[in-house]
Amino acid sequence: MEGRTTRGRRFGSARPLGAALAGLGLWLTAAPAFAAVTVLGWPGGPEETALTAAAESWNARDDVAEADRVELIFFGRDGFFDKLQADLAAGSDAFDLNLLATYSIGRYAPFMEPVELADGASDVFGESVLATMQYDGEQYGLPTDLSLHFLYYRTDLIEALLADEEAGARYAEIAEEYLGEALQPKAPEEWSWTDWAAMSLYFTKSINADSPVRYGTVLQMKNLLFNMMVFHSLPRSYGGDWRDEAGEIAVDSEAYRTALELYKTLHEAGATPKDSLGYEYAEANAAYGAGQVASMLQWNAAAGDLLDAEKSPAVADVTATVAPPTGPEGRFTHVHGLGLGLNANARNPEGAKRFLQWLSSEEAMLEYARAGGAPGLTADVVGKIAEERPDLVPLGDYASNHGFVMRGGTAEKALAVYELQAKEFTGYWAGQQSLDEALEATEEGMRELLP
Amino acid sequence: MIVGTGERRENALLAAPLVLFVLAFLGFPAIVDLVYSVSAVSFETLRAPTLVGFDNYRDVLADEAFWRATGFSLRFGLITAALECAFGLALAVFLAPLLERRPWLLAILMLPIMVAPAMVGLMYRLVLHEFVGPVPHYLYAWFGDSPSFLGPDNVFTTLVVIEVLQWTPFALLLFHVAYQGISPDVREAATLDGAGGWALFRHIELPLMLPTLAVALFIRFVDGFRVFDNVYVLTGSGAGGSTTSLSIYIYLAFFKAGEIGRAVAASVLLFAAAFAAVTLFGRLVRRRKVEA
Repeated sequence: MEGRTTRGRRFGSARPLGAALAGLGLWLTAAPAFAAVTVLGWPGGPEETALTAAAESWNARDDVAEADRVELIFFGRDGFFDKLQADLAAGSDAFDLNLLATYSIGRYAPFMEPVELADGASDVFGESVLATMQYDGEQYGLPTDLSLHFLYYRTDLIEALLADEEAGARYAEIAEEYLGEALQPKAPEEWSWTDWAAMSLYFTKSINADSPVRYGTVLQMKNLLFNMMVFHSLPRSYGGDWRDEAGEIAVDSEAYRTALELYKTLHEAGATPKDSLGYEYAEANAAYGAGQVASMLQWNAAAGDLLDAEKSPAVADVTATVAPPTGPEGRFTHVHGLGLGLNANARNPEGAKRFLQWLSSEEAMLEYARAGGAPGLTADVVGKIAEERPDLVPLGDYASNHGFVMRGGTAEKALAVYELQAKEFTGYWAGQQSLDEALEATEEGMRELLP
Repeated sequence: MIVGTGERRENALLAAPLVLFVLAFLGFPAIVDLVYSVSAVSFETLRAPTLVGFDNYRDVLADEAFWRATGFSLRFGLITAALECAFGLALAVFLAPLLERRPWLLAILMLPIMVAPAMVGLMYRLVLHEFVGPVPHYLYAWFGDSPSFLGPDNVFTTLVVIEVLQWTPFALLLFHVAYQGISPDVREAATLDGAGGWALFRHIELPLMLPTLAVALFIRFVDGFRVFDNVYVLTGSGAGGSTTSLSIYIYLAFFKAGEIGRAVAASVLLFAAAFAAVTLFGRLVRRRKVEA
């Protein structure tokens, strides 16, 4: 696997052949001489910037031995996890620590070693955040960056709706017609999923000609595993899970049925753009950013762009975020993390463990957050950087109070489960199969994937 | 001609690098593939696969998704190849006088095939997007509405149009060369015999271009059949797997599901089908040459 490193290697261009071969031999045999801790990080975003800053800080410490200094490796994001899997499976020792994601821990665990974090790690991250890097009862990684979902909504539209009694009457009519309940407009903090659906229908131009925007929401319904993560907060709030407490596959449940049907209702009613079955993160952001959508359930990562007046001039000043709507079982947000774990074939495992121990400390994580990372931190810790990183406050809050990982969400085949659900559920939404068929196929597939 | 022992040894010596290259870069992976295709193997057991006979082949052949993917690839390959060749041929004939006077125009017409298919997929994600894409923008402006290009009813057509727009220039290039290669004497003789434009094309030019047409159809069918990049970037594998080509099926089985044996078995079947198609095509061409 080729990559760019922070420490480049130069080769002479016009040396005699013998000298070049001798040099090559020396290079091949002497590579471990500067045995740094090599870390394969997530490239091209704030995670890279933050990890670079943390590594520089670690390397600058007087008490860090030369052999424990960190060298970072980055390569492209395209096919990252597939390439990483091929490297790990081949027994590569090109890196000591490597990137991990919640849904792929079980896939990589056979090639990795569990890690020990700093003593106070649970006070820094909280248990629900640490759980995003656990598999089979072991901690396999340090959760460096967290991803969960915000409900982005247009404050101008909602305020106008709440202030207009006539609009409230029309709202109730639409809710009754499509959802079977004459609901009344509410503030976003009080929204149940049904309230959110009613609001989405009300702000759909094809349903309500007076709507100032074309669609009430934008759903990400492309056959893509990440879209399932966005969707999962909905069935979870109705009590849905991949497995029940006895470990049986439990997707064919009222919770999943309600959630799947709600998405289909909104799609068929035209409350989300026509091509939503081809939409993922970027398309949904573009739709919302165009100012033609009233609300959107989206990753927290989108906040940087959507709340920036230069990047999203049509909506930045009139957009706010809340946690996803609530259901009968409460308010939930799917949470997954990126982190760093220990390669079982690491050349310098002891040095790597020392770096991880330091990185899991409050001091290091605050530095990581200041440099642009998005760690899920407990209220006490995040309070110390709330002024510099106000966006991390709801991140920590939502993760601690509403975050969940499905039972089996870090299993070896978790990624395949998301893929399976994406295929079957989108098949239902697209009208290619019935709800019963979709759930039956999902359960059958999951029983093979999560034995 | 009698070849001496020394010369034979020299020939073997000269051919050795090529033989070694072929063995190393084609033979070894082919053997590994064949072993994996009859083994239970995952990323954890790449170096220690367990032989399971033909179970993987049975699984693949019994997998409904495999046949749906095969059907998609066949349909996509045939339709796109036919359309690309039809448009390419028509353009080659229609634009012939212009391209003869201004051959540099051909370079401009070739631009679409110089774009990587994955980039084409990304480009159309933007072009067709309801809020930022120019196509829906103008459709809304002119007609007050825009269709769902990637919805279940239209997605196949959209993918075909994108593929045809990108690869028709390739067919045009082949037909242009073939058209230019027809002797002016033949055309002149036919004209003197009273053949009009259509008759000239129907009875003289088209038959002379048939070998090119066959090659173009074959190349474009193979390319369409194994489509991956632009489709995967644009639609993934489609709602409910509706745009899963055979290549996407193999990719998903290998990397996403980690079922390496099944993925390799599917690729071996694909290879066998391609080998049979090439052999059949070769025989048809040879028979035609003999008949001619």
